[in-house]
Amino acid sequence: MVLLKNLRPPTEGVRHEQAETTAVMNGQKLGCGTLYVAETRLLWFDGSGMGFSLEYPTIGLHAISRDVSAYPQEHLYVMVNGKLTGENEADMAEKAADDEEDDSSNSSCAGDDDDDDEEAITEIRFVPSDKVALESMFSAMCECQALHPDPEDDDSDNDFEGEEYDVEEAEAEHGHADIPSFYTCDEGLSALTQEGQATLERLEGMLAESVAQQYHMAGVRTEEANGEFEDGMEVDAAAMEAGQFEDADVDH
Amino acid sequence: MAVANLLLRTIAENSMVVLLQGLQGEVTTVDLRNESTARGRVVNVDAFMNVRLEDVLYRDRRGKLTRLQDLFITGRNVRYVHIPDHMDIMKTIQSQLAKIHRVRNFASHGGGRKEYSKKK
Repeated sequence: MVLLKNLRPPTEGVRHEQAETTAVMNGQKLGCGTLYVAETRLLWFDGSGMGFSLEYPTIGLHAISRDVSAYPQEHLYVMVNGKLTGENEADMAEKAADDEEDDSSNSSCAGDDDDDDEEAITEIRFVPSDKVALESMFSAMCECQALHPDPEDDDSDNDFEGEEYDVEEAEAEHGHADIPSFYTCDEGLSALTQEGQATLERLEGMLAESVAQQYHMAGVRTEEANGEFEDGMEVDAAAMEAGQFEDADVDH
Repeated sequence: MAVANLLLRTIAENSMVVLLQGLQGEVTTVDLRNESTARGRVVNVDAFMNVRLEDVLYRDRRGKLTRLQDLFITGRNVRYVHIPDHMDIMKTIQSQLAKIHRVRNFASHGGGRKEYSKKK
């Protein structure tokens, strides 16, 4: 197995740093060093700068293991798709599809067997001397993993970085809506032409239509709007008659 | 940050991930692409189908069992997520979508909902 040399600590985006951490790769102890959980990659190296880095897209899973009957020390377990040859971790994702299943060998595989079900994996254990740090190490990895969604996933748009969807957190955001610059009712109306005014009323009608539908849809119960969010925008009562805009396309 | 969350909600809303997000708190089994399985309580599922489980029984592809306290499975590695028998799938999807819509109405610019709150 080839390890990289002359690794240096990342300069930014380090979510967690854990010194006195032993790395064990496929059962082989690599020595004691420092683990850096950075936003761009995972790094581990010892005092002489010798170690390895992992790219998040290649990491299949990570976990906290506290079962000492399975492994004698509590540790952070990381399963990497593919073999770590140390040459270029970016190739690993491709190799994972080609390599034969071979856990014990540490050589790069020449005999390519195109069997997707038998991908090679690399098991890495990070054993910190401070077991209490395992939670933070785990959480930091979760955060960084979420920053690297699968680019091949064509079910969804993954053009951006995001966070885990958390209903509680999302609901707490009510007071921090990202509102682009907009006119308050008074100054806005005066800035509108007659055509603009008509468009505004039509759009407000469409909103009323879609909101009215949501109130009646599938018996979904929604709470009263919080009075805290009143911003003084009064709406023309006429626009409340959803029937007025029945032909409008509701787009939500 | 609010914009990122809005986009995540949109992703979730347009995919079956929204069903998996309704599994929070349930004990279930996740089959991974490499033939291993993990059974534990769902802590969270995000828009990219990354699954976080706790109190996990992990069975590797050779059948060896290991207990893990916390487990994070990268979305790309998920093959199946078992839905517990007792769960009503349609209801779960509907309630998850309702949550998203509630949040969207509060957070959307212009604040459609607050303008049209029911008059007493």
